[in-house]
Amino acid sequence: MRPRPVVALVAANLLRQARDRVGLFFMVVMPFVTILFVGMAMGGASGDDELPVAVHAADGDRIGTAVISELEDAGTVRVVSPDSEQALRDAVRTGEAAAGLVIPRDGRELDLVMAQNTGTSMAARSEIDAAIGKVAAVLEAESAAEKAGATPEEAERFVRQAQERGVEGTVTVRGSGGDDTPTGFAYTAPANLLLFTFINSMAVAAALVESKRLGMVRRSVAAPLSGGRILLGEAVSRFVVALAQALLIIGVSSLLFDVAWGDPLGVAAVVGAFSLVATGAAMLVGAWVRSPQQAPAIGPPLGIVLGMLGGCLWPREVAGEPLNTIGYVFPHSWGMDALLTLSEPGTGIADVWTEVLVLGGMAVVVLGLALVVFRKRAVLVS
Amino acid sequence: MTFALTCENLVKRYDGTAVVDHVGFHIDSGEAYGLLGPNGAGKTTTISMLVGLLRPDGGSVQVNGIEMGSDPVEAKRLIGYVPQEIALYPELTARENLRYFGRLYGLGRRRLAARITEVLDAVGLSERGDDKVQTYSGGMKRRANIGVALLHEPELLILDEPTVGVDPQSRVAILDSIERLVGEGVSLLYTSHYMEEVERVCTRVGIIDKGRVVADGTRRELVAELGGTDKVDLVLDGDVHAAAEKLRAVEGVTEAAVTGQNSLRLLAVGGRHLLPALLGAVDGLAQVTGVDVIEPDLEAAFLHLTGSTLRD
Repeated sequence: MRPRPVVALVAANLLRQARDRVGLFFMVVMPFVTILFVGMAMGGASGDDELPVAVHAADGDRIGTAVISELEDAGTVRVVSPDSEQALRDAVRTGEAAAGLVIPRDGRELDLVMAQNTGTSMAARSEIDAAIGKVAAVLEAESAAEKAGATPEEAERFVRQAQERGVEGTVTVRGSGGDDTPTGFAYTAPANLLLFTFINSMAVAAALVESKRLGMVRRSVAAPLSGGRILLGEAVSRFVVALAQALLIIGVSSLLFDVAWGDPLGVAAVVGAFSLVATGAAMLVGAWVRSPQQAPAIGPPLGIVLGMLGGCLWPREVAGEPLNTIGYVFPHSWGMDALLTLSEPGTGIADVWTEVLVLGGMAVVVLGLALVVFRKRAVLVS
Repeated sequence: MTFALTCENLVKRYDGTAVVDHVGFHIDSGEAYGLLGPNGAGKTTTISMLVGLLRPDGGSVQVNGIEMGSDPVEAKRLIGYVPQEIALYPELTARENLRYFGRLYGLGRRRLAARITEVLDAVGLSERGDDKVQTYSGGMKRRANIGVALLHEPELLILDEPTVGVDPQSRVAILDSIERLVGEGVSLLYTSHYMEEVERVCTRVGIIDKGRVVADGTRRELVAELGGTDKVDLVLDGDVHAAAEKLRAVEGVTEAAVTGQNSLRLLAVGGRHLLPALLGAVDGLAQVTGVDVIEPDLEAAFLHLTGSTLRD
């Protein structure tokens, strides 16, 4: 098969894309504006910064000391100690602290203070919950040991021994809403990669509709080449645009926002599979709609809704379980899971195979549907 | 004998209705053939099947002996197709559009570069070849549209209403270049709403109406079918439709078509001698303010065969 016609189609489409100034703005400028501002709102961290958590506990209080110790041991939290409960609330309100915790002396009811449900505050809450859970477990263990006949001194010794043994094992929590959900740019960069790759692919669908309106598709079909090669050329054009968008966001966010994307092979697999889904969606919309005005009216809003469901506009823990479950019908949730997993140290392509396969399957389905619509709508030969 | 184009019994149906109904004609090598028909006659549907854009429900198409149905790629290679619409990317230059189509037709880099220069020259766009098509006038766009079809030096050129919406000067330039191509031996299939274009460019004409080819021949053969029929144009002040009705009843009048708010066109055997009867027929219905009796021409033949004028 001679590649020249496919290359010609791709070159012409890319040239048209490059001359579309509005399209270029949305590809080159808009993603980084969003990453910057949303990333700053979420704490501005690139993944390895510590979350400021304010804790107000009475001096020498056993529970307070234990909780602070657990938070500090977590490694992702920087504990600040305001002078008063009011100072703690002010720190949370002004954003100096992602969340606050008021621990009354020997109190069993702790007061969690959060200003709003941002990704940063949710991440801080997760750390606080985890720390309190550990302290509560120790207290319960001591109580159980005493009930079993141990003296308070023996109970404390047994629990300490158990704690030391527990440290030998490590528990890694992954996935959405887990304790390790990144914050700041580390979250908004992959989120906006998926969001803009999809939205801009859908916007590019308008170019295909315009080609149909102009009669360019029909004229191309009149050339001595098979319809399959025309379809391939159109699909490759959209895939290249999607891939270029993704690579641009990866490159710039790494350089400007210090975002660590993780294993390059894994990221390439996820981005490639997601770009294929975006390509299929663009081809489907491009084949389906009849006027060039319809494509931008349908595509980008659809991309935004799927982005919302997939956690690209805000962390999924904010959305709640029903919406998150629905989100997994669409590619963004799988893409987010995969990219967030890869951003964790020590992970690789083996940890995201499921997501890559699901995205690949979605790509096959959507591209197949696009092919059916191309035939049904007699876009090529009727 | 191998024809440049042969189509036999072409049929295309939509919802059970045949919009192209057993159409058949051929074009000799180097011949310029005009396909005339009113709007909706089936011209563009026929052409879409000839160039491989539409699958016929029946019949066959051969280009230089190659079956379009069984070997579309090779058949298409021989055709240069100019669609009715201006099928060019407006945000690209004429040169970029030509390069795009040249690659689709498989032209190599060197040949493509040379052909782009030649084609831009042939369609008079050498100086504007690097400007975006969206900055062109209607006539320039039409010329660039034709240029695309010439790139790969096709043996058969199919032009579907190539001068729609262009100014008279550009139309003359377009017709000049088409005549030049025919002179160089390119076979031509030409459709147009403009009878004078077909009369000027084509040596043989097929008249298509309601999906059927109702006549096929040289201009002289088609006009001869009219016998002693003259074309009579009347300008009336009054009810032209009622007048047309009355005139159809006059003996010797074979057709009476309303051509404007105040005008009628008749075909009448011995039209010059029928004038008193014609004027008498409309007396009381309308006042005749102008009469023109014209020798039979292709337009008269068209009216005779289809019962309507070409621009109906």
